[in-house]
Parts: sequence; structure tokens; C-alpha cells
Amino acid sequence: MIRLQNVRKVFNADKSNEFVAIEGVNLSIDSHGATVLKGPSGSGKTTLLSILGCMARPTSGRIMLKEREITSLPERFLTEVRRETFGIVFQQFNLIKGITALENVMLPAYPNGEKHASLKKRAMDLLDLLNLTGKAFSKVEWLSGGEAQRIAIARALINNPAIIIADEPTAHLDTRLSREFMEIMRQLKKEGKTLLIASHDPIVYDSTVIDRIVEMRDGKIESSGDVP
Amino acid sequence: MGAIEKQRNILDFTLSSLGRRKGKNIALVVVYTFVIFLLASVLFFTHSLKKEASLILQDAPEMTVQRLLAGRQDLIPTHYIDTIRQIRGVQSVAPRLWGYYYDAMSGANYTLMVNAELNDRAGEIIIGNGVSMRSMSGIGNQALRKNDIIPFKTYDGSVLTLKVRGLLPFASELVTADLILVSEADFRTLFSIANDQATDLVLNVRNAKELSTIAAKITQIHPDTRPILREEILRTYDAVFDWRGGVIFMVLSGVFFAFIILAWDKATGLSAEEKREIGILKAIGWETSDILLMKFWEGSAVSIAAFFMGIFLAYLHIFLASSILFEPVLKGWSVLYPSFRLTPYISVYQIATLFFLTVIPYTVVTIVPSWRSATIDPDSVMRM
Amino acid sequence: MIFHPGILALLLGSALTTSMLCYSAYEGVRIIRNWDISSGSERQLELERRTYLVSTVMSYVLGFQLLSLFLFIYTADTLSPLFIGAMCAAGSLNVNGFGYSALVLKIVGCLLAGLWLVVNFTDNKAYDYPLIRKKYWLLLFITPFLIAETSVQAGYLLGLKPNIITSCCGTLFSADAKTVMSDLLALPLSLSESAFFLSTPITIVSGLYVYFKTKGAYLFSIASFIHFFISIAALISFISIYFYELPTHHCPFCILHPEYGYVGYPMYLAILVSAVSGLGTGIINPFRNIASLCNVIPRIQKRFALISILSNSVFALIVVYGILFSNLSMAAY
Repeated sequence: MIRLQNVRKVFNADKSNEFVAIEGVNLSIDSHGATVLKGPSGSGKTTLLSILGCMARPTSGRIMLKEREITSLPERFLTEVRRETFGIVFQQFNLIKGITALENVMLPAYPNGEKHASLKKRAMDLLDLLNLTGKAFSKVEWLSGGEAQRIAIARALINNPAIIIADEPTAHLDTRLSREFMEIMRQLKKEGKTLLIASHDPIVYDSTVIDRIVEMRDGKIESSGDVP
Repeated sequence: MGAIEKQRNILDFTLSSLGRRKGKNIALVVVYTFVIFLLASVLFFTHSLKKEASLILQDAPEMTVQRLLAGRQDLIPTHYIDTIRQIRGVQSVAPRLWGYYYDAMSGANYTLMVNAELNDRAGEIIIGNGVSMRSMSGIGNQALRKNDIIPFKTYDGSVLTLKVRGLLPFASELVTADLILVSEADFRTLFSIANDQATDLVLNVRNAKELSTIAAKITQIHPDTRPILREEILRTYDAVFDWRGGVIFMVLSGVFFAFIILAWDKATGLSAEEKREIGILKAIGWETSDILLMKFWEGSAVSIAAFFMGIFLAYLHIFLASSILFEPVLKGWSVLYPSFRLTPYISVYQIATLFFLTVIPYTVVTIVPSWRSATIDPDSVMRM
Repeated sequence: MIFHPGILALLLGSALTTSMLCYSAYEGVRIIRNWDISSGSERQLELERRTYLVSTVMSYVLGFQLLSLFLFIYTADTLSPLFIGAMCAAGSLNVNGFGYSALVLKIVGCLLAGLWLVVNFTDNKAYDYPLIRKKYWLLLFITPFLIAETSVQAGYLLGLKPNIITSCCGTLFSADAKTVMSDLLALPLSLSESAFFLSTPITIVSGLYVYFKTKGAYLFSIASFIHFFISIAALISFISIYFYELPTHHCPFCILHPEYGYVGYPMYLAILVSAVSGLGTGIINPFRNIASLCNVIPRIQKRFALISILSNSVFALIVVYGILFSNLSMAAY
């Protein structure tokens, strides 16, 4: 589904603090699978994840998404691709404070120009699915950790993406909530979503949901293999 | 249509975001409103003065002829009338008698003018609103009414008492406020002016296009005279009021720059929270132009709010609160106007000018900062 | 110079607009020299970000230009009592040699800014920005016009001295003065009237052809261009007199006054919108064979053709309304 060829990403190029975040990465992600990017902090997981998720463009190399070359797509179009293809769950969830849970879920769809009423209905359906109907009109700062996590997942799902990306999703969760998160992921995988998770939490990479582990170190892929 | 729904969705979100950051925005809107209030007040004020002036001059004679003596205006001999009447195209010539009277008791200057209607009613006067409010008779703060007696000091120090016959209508307060109409006989007694002299002469002509020709002829026959056309007075008034308004604008430009710096500062100094929010929006699928659109709506909301509040307050200030802030600066020629009210008059042009002077600079100042915040990398939230 | 708030507003507005445009032109030069879409280098990403800034700036420039055009006329109108013989903007613009040049440059500025936005809009629809260099060359072409506009306007406004004898609309636009305008008036009424009622349907029909067949864009563009001039000539020579109900009054500015219900604003706006959309349709036509644009351009052309058809119809309807409900009887003259 996604293919990276010899991807390299450099920050502060040609300056004294030049920093090569990833280099020579070749990777292919298949549909309907669950892949974990594993590695210590600073290993380039996040950079790789943001390139895979069309949030950043590589300095060099090529990216193919479903047979379409998207390497040099300008931001205007890359965003469209990202919105349609990816749903993203962040570390700490990154919900927007001061507005309701429902609005948070609807946000990613605003630029699509969908009618407010039908968008709201879809968002309510999603909240329903995640047992959050009662919380739709609560401000997000009043939600518990588990509820906030499920709101973040609902937000990732609102545009009905084929791929779910999660960056250290369990970093701030206790064990029970981490397992609950993985259960939801299992559900999504069963529905046919492709999962792409960056994590160094054993609850994630040892989970039976995961098909494949890609280990990263110093901006390079160290090993990549299917979970037996 | 999708595009419109998109605008609506983004506008919705912008307005709720503005609400969430009240503190920051309220300070900006207050200062913005204040700046617009000041500029709008100046504009409305000068414009109304112009309007009032043109109202007065509507009834003014087309041409006034004064006599100059040693470079100063002097009384004009009435026999000039006969020679001027001979000029082709002159319809009528009439002498006028008018002047100023300083009243020590109230400390005010009044305009005294002879009115033909009073000529067979010597001893009576008609007064303007300002005169009636300012107690000349020294009875305290009570307004003058019909049949009150007012003492005037004549040229030689003796006292002439005149009876109030009535008040002038309100139509244009600026013009009539300090006006006192008297009879010709009383005027001449008061100032000791000989019967064959007048303050100036007023002319009516048959064809307005001949005004300048006639004026040239008058100066030819009587080289000591100075003809003044109504158009010239009007033009001078306009220029003077515009100039005063312009000067005040320049004085206010200090305030204005302070505001611009504040706007710039507010626009560039994004809080970490706002940066994070924009980062999140971009990460979850908003594009730079969507954020720019949001910033556009944000700026518009702030501008529209401040613009209308500023104009509304300026309207109250100028037309209902008697321009308390500038009265001394802009009028400054009389102590007479305790409750001076201008006729409300606002035009699209004033609003457009104001928009150019305030909203456009504000918008320009915020373009670069909004663009900067809109181009935060989508993956920035992941790297935080 | 006259210290008038309107003059200060115009000078400030123009100065701001032009400096923004100069900055954009500077960015334009950098983009023309360094643009390389296939690169993911930081410089390229930075340039891409700059294109958003330039687009935003240009949208504001167009908006400000349009407002400033009308503010300019309005200011000239307001100042007319300061000049002997000037009864409206027509007279005050004639006070010194810069007045009418400033007006023409302002109109040209609006059209050019509008066209740039059309090209930019088109380019932003293609994933590889195929017109990027062309549009920034166009930007560099436009910049001198706006600089000229700002300077000429400043020359006009700063050079205003009250009391200079000037001709008013009565003489400038009466048929014996030797100006381009009066040449227009020397045309028999029936000629300008028939030219207008001929070019309106031609423009609309060619627009419909573009709309339904997505063909004939150049023809439509040329028709719109000619129609722009015919419309202005028609407005001065015969449309105005129906609104003023005076057979000798041909002023193109008085029609903006409240006495005539501000009817001039929708008319001038319609003329400008139809010119920009008509010319815009043609200006993007050469690029319709570019792979990333071949699906986009016909759709955009359709949209602009529709806008042009609508604005031309609005204009024609206002004119017809004016003629039908005018109390002017031409038979008497």
C-alpha cells in the first residue's frame, strides 16, 4: 500500500546543526496489516511515521501510495491525500481544549465542505460506536483519560481513512487503558483498516494484533520482520 | 455547495476559538475600537461642521463687497451702491450692518446683525439659542425668555436696554447660537455708525456665470473694495475644516501607530497553546489555506466588531454627547455652546475612508504573522 | 496638497498595497530562480510556503485595489467644491494632468490583479503547479503598473491646489471639447447604442458556447475585451443620459451618486467582473493541454463563462431598466 524507496530526511541542511533524521529507508507497508515501528527515542520513528503519514516530505527518495507517486506533491495536495487516507492518534491525544468532544471529532472533516448536519450525524454515530454518546457535548477537559483516548480515536476515524497512524498512543496510559486501546485497534483491524503504530511499549508490540515489527536505530531500519 | 459549507464550518470554528481566548482578544478589540472611535469622531465632527457651514451659506448672498482701508476691512460708504447697481448683470445691491459684541458679564462674543424686520420695532431684539442659555442679564443660570430686558453697553459706555422679542429657530444651531438680531437704529446707536455707512454690501446677479466679470468691474470702479464670492467662502470653509481634520489625524497618528504595534505584537506573539492547536489542526487534515482562511475570519471578526462599536460610540459622542472631547480643540472660537448639537450626518464615504485608515493597515500588519502561524509543520505536534 | 482624510486614506492604502506587492515580487524572483518541485529540500519547502503568502497578499491587493478605485472617484467627487467650475469627479480629476491617468491605471491594476488571481487559482488546482514560473513572471509584469498607479495617484493628490480653474463635467463631457471622451460622444447615439446591444448578445452567446461546449475560449475572451470598452463608451455616451434624464449630461461619475440610487456601482462592478472573467477564460486557455490541467481548465472556464454571462446580463438588465423607466424623451432633441 505504501512504499518508501531510499528515503532520507535532513533538518537544518547546510548549516552547522545539520541533522539527518532518517537515511536510506526502504519500506513497504501492506494493506490490512498492523505494523509497529519500534526503537528508542531519537531513532527516527516519529520522522518516519510523519513521512509515511504524508505529514512531511522527504528530502530525497520516493514514496508511492497505492501506485501513485506522492513524493513531490505540494502540501496543498498532500493534505488532501492525508485527510482521505490517514487517521492519526497522537501521544497525549492532542484534543483541542475549550470545545466539545463532538466538535473535536468533527474537526478533521471541516475542510471537506460536508454539510454540517450530515457531518454531525456521522460524528454522533462514531461516538455511539465507542460508547461516548453521553459525552458528546462535554468539553474535552472534563473527560477521563479513557474517554479522551476514545475521542481521539473517533476523531481519527471521522474521514473514514484506510490507514490508522498512532504515535506512542499508550505512553500516557495505564496498563488497563493501554490494553483497552489495543482492543479497539484489534476491532479496527478486523474492519479492514491498516494500522501503523510507533511505540516502544511491550503492551503494543507484544500484542497479538501486531503482524509486523520494524525496528529502528539511528535513523535506519535495523530489522523488519513478521511476528510469528 | 461544498466551498460554502467549508467556509461556514471554518467560520464556526473560528468564532468559537475567539470566544475561548477572550482575554487576549478583548484587549485588542478595546484598543482597536478606541482608535476607530477617535478617528471616526474627528471625521464626523469636521464633516458636520462643513455641512453646517454650507447650510449657512446656502442663504448667503452670491457676492459680498467689502471696503479695505490700509489693508483692513472698514465701513463701506453706501453711495457705492449706486455705482455698483449700474453694472450690467447686477440684480440687486443692499447694504448690511453687522458686527460683534463682547459681553463682559458672560464673557462671550455675540454676533449682532441688523434685520430689516425689526427696523420699525427699535428697542427689540431676536436672540439665538446660545445667547438665551448664556445669561447676559446676570439673573443667574436661568434661560432668557421673551420680554426679558437685556442691557447693552454702547460705544461711549452708556447703557442701552433692549427687549427680547423672540428666539431664533433651531435649524442650524452652529450658525444662530450666538446671533442677536437688532434694528438698524439700535445698531447705529450702539456702535456710533454714520447713516451713510454700512459694514458691507451684498449683491445678487442675474447669471451666476458672470460673477467673476462683475467682481472684476467692481474692483475697477472702486479700487478700495474687495468682492468675495459665496463659492470662495464655501471653498475656504471646506479647506479649513478638512485641514483641521487632517491635522488632528496626524496628531492621532501616534495613537494609531501604537495600535498597529500592539496588533503586530498580538498577531506574532502566538501562545504555545495556539501554536499547538494550529499544529493539531494541520496534522488532522487542515491545510495551510484552511488555517489562513481561519485567520482571515478571525481578523474580520475582530475588525468588524471594533469598526462598528467605534463608529457607534463616535456617533454617540459627536451627535448626542456634544463632542465633549474636541469641542475646545476644533471649534475653539467661543465659549457659547453649552449644549451644542450637530445635525447627525454620516455618509458611505466617511465609512469607506475610515475603513481605509484603520481596517486596511490592521489587515496588512496581520498578514505575515497569520501566514507564519499557518505554515507550522503538520508534524510539529508529533515532535513536541 | 489638501489635508483631507480621504486623501490620507488613499495615499496610505496605496502605499501599503504597493509595498506588499513589491515584497511579493521579491518572493516571485526567488521562486522563479529556485523553484524545483521534485526536490524535498528545505529551501523548496520554504518556497512552497511563500507561495501561500503571495496568494494571500494578492487576494488582499485585489480587494484593496477595487475599494480604492471607488474611494478615489468618491474623493475626487467630494473635493470638487474646492475647484472653480468642477461640479463632480469629472472636473476635479481634470485639475492636473495626473487625475485621469491615475484613474486609468487604477482600473488596469484591478484587471491585472484579477487576472493574476485567475491564473493562480488555476495553477493551484494542478498537483505539480505547472504555471508557477509563468504566474510569477506575470506578477513581475504587474508590479510596475501598481507602482506607477501609486506614484501617479500621489502626483495627482499632492498636486491638488484648491481654486485652480478646471473644466467641469458640463464642458469636459459636452460634445465640443477635444478629448477622447468627447470623441465618444460625437458618435451618433444610435451607433453606440447599437454597438452595445450588439456586443452584449455576442459576448453572452460566446460565453454560453464556452459554457456548454468548453470551446471558443479565445473568441469569448476577445469579445469580452471589446465589450469592456464598448460598455464604458456606452455608459458615457448613452446609458448615462437615461439615468440623468438630461440629454446633455454624459458624466460617468455622477451615476455613482445617491441621487441615482448608487446604480453606478453595480454597473461598474459588472463591467469589471465580466472583463476579468472573460479575459481570465482566455488567459488560461493555452495551458489546457498540460496533463495536470487538462481536466481542470475546462471546468474553470465553464465557471468563469457563467460568471461573465451573469454579470453581463445584470448590466444589460440595469441598462434596459434605465431606458424603459427613464423620463427622458429623446424625441424632443
